[in-house]
Amino acid sequence: MLTMKNVSKVYQTEMVQTHALRDFDLEVKEGEFIAVTGPSGSGKTTFLNIAGMLEPFSSGQYMLDDVNVGALSDNQRADLRNQKIGFIFQGFNLIPDLNLYENVEVPLRYRGIKAAERKKRIEACLEQVGLASRAKHLPQQLSGGQQQRVAIARALAGEPRFLLADEPTGNLDSLMARQVMELLEQINRDGATIVMVTHDPELARRAPRNIQIVDGQVADLTLYQGVARQTDRAVVGG
Amino acid sequence: MLEIKPIINALRRSKVGAVLLLIQIAITTAIVSNAAFIIQDRMTYLQQDTGYPEQDIFSLSVMTYGKDRDLSQQFEEDENMLRNLPGVVDAAITNAVPLSGSGSASGMGLKPAPEPGRSVRAGYLMADDHMLNTLGVTLSEGRNFYPDDVIVTQDPNKLPKVAIATRTFADEAFPEGDGLGKMMYIGDRPFKIIGIVDKMKGPWLKDDRPDNVIIFPYIKAETYQHIIIRTEPGQRAAVMQTIEDKMLAAYDKRVITNVIAMDEDKRQYNASDTLMLRMLMVLIVVLVAITALGIFGLTLFNISKRTRQIGTRRALGARKSDIIRYFMVENTLICAGGLLLGCTAAILMGQQLLQRFSLPALEMQYVAGTALMVLVMTLLAVIFPARRAAQISPSVATRSI
Repeated sequence: MLTMKNVSKVYQTEMVQTHALRDFDLEVKEGEFIAVTGPSGSGKTTFLNIAGMLEPFSSGQYMLDDVNVGALSDNQRADLRNQKIGFIFQGFNLIPDLNLYENVEVPLRYRGIKAAERKKRIEACLEQVGLASRAKHLPQQLSGGQQQRVAIARALAGEPRFLLADEPTGNLDSLMARQVMELLEQINRDGATIVMVTHDPELARRAPRNIQIVDGQVADLTLYQGVARQTDRAVVGG
Repeated sequence: MLEIKPIINALRRSKVGAVLLLIQIAITTAIVSNAAFIIQDRMTYLQQDTGYPEQDIFSLSVMTYGKDRDLSQQFEEDENMLRNLPGVVDAAITNAVPLSGSGSASGMGLKPAPEPGRSVRAGYLMADDHMLNTLGVTLSEGRNFYPDDVIVTQDPNKLPKVAIATRTFADEAFPEGDGLGKMMYIGDRPFKIIGIVDKMKGPWLKDDRPDNVIIFPYIKAETYQHIIIRTEPGQRAAVMQTIEDKMLAAYDKRVITNVIAMDEDKRQYNASDTLMLRMLMVLIVVLVAITALGIFGLTLFNISKRTRQIGTRRALGARKSDIIRYFMVENTLICAGGLLLGCTAAILMGQQLLQRFSLPALEMQYVAGTALMVLVMTLLAVIFPARRAAQISPSVATRSI
């Protein structure tokens, strides 16, 4: 479904060249739930941005559903993003002047879906995240967890094949984080492919597949998982 | 996809900036449409056809202090001398100069006083049979004065029996359009309209009846008189330069003052209108510029305030054109509200100006024209910031700002 081969991203300033991703290889299969971890500055967000076509890459090949993303125009990328990808952001990124219904409606409007169909989908998605009764509320009237659930509803409304979540629980307390994670797991069970960037080892462990990015490359996962288990045991033993 | 409903909803929830802009647009529309109308009205007034070849005419004033000459005789000699000067077409002594802002007016009765009857107000000029030619106007009906009609006198009891009137005056006095040959009265003194001139303005362009003019064949030999001179085209400046010397050479016990071209005389009379016109134009430019800057600034501010929101919209599938359209529609909606309010205010303001300052009624085309101009201006003011917004990368959505 998603294949990256030798993808590199270089940020160039007058003085410095920064390699955010180097020869990055990854294949994501349909229905997978992948947690992407790594230290700060390792390239997680850059990977997410490139996977979501939010920014261009410098070299390599990226295929999404057999479409060569590198060959697309800005408008084609916007359309593909709208049709195939649902985003869940760490800061929720809800539009403060729009109520929940209108927020969920945003990607559907860009797709040109008719009002009646939009209504059906928005109500179903808000129902799925348990906020149907608060459709007329503004985001600031909700708790952080509720806002993130609205953001998930917005991501789901377009019925994307691919959900990209950037630290979806980063701004939430542990209870709300668990609820959001359970929701994502449910969505994955319903068939959506999910790639989730997270700092939280506990959340990462709940994902069936983990990858770690270090210095812009996929690190040796076996080693990482071993270290993580040892750390866990040490914590438990301590 | 215009997103009108969500944009309206968003504006309702975050209305301070929008309302301020809306008020600014409304005030601009109300003031500019009235100012534009007043400017157009004044422009029409200033550029009106006076009926005179203004660029070839000038006038001067003569103050005679010498007592050793018969004034009537002197004036006749002066006229002959002036009419024979090279470059001069004709010259006439008169009591008042048209367009100068100084002259005499009176009500001309249809019945002799004290009989009750309607009277029509007119500015009057007193001059001889050369006056029409000197002013460059032609008769459309009737005849000019004969030399015998002209009375040159110092005797107040000798009054002319005939007059030449403008068409406007004759038609107001005789609405049937048959004024030629009719009798009218100054007080109880009768005179007959023997000629009609189609277009000719009196001394005061701002008079409510500037076209009501009568010429009497009468020269009152007084120590203070005006002389009007028409020259060949292009000769006026040269004649004006030497006229004082020529007049003093003919008789030196007098003072020649106020040698002034007719168009300059009119310009001085209309100086306050010209100044008002310029001030209104400056006002319009300043107001429109302030409004445009306001829209420009508010849109830029909105963009910087909504950078992440724009990035999020792009991430959710908005094309660059969607972002531009969003800001264009948002501003058009604000502008539409402002124009609605502004057009209403313009009409109300026009009514007040009509009532309080007797200005002509505001024509709707000025309101519509101004509204269109303000709309175009707001769209132009928003294009650059909107294009800048469209350049915001969708990756902003995932970055901390």
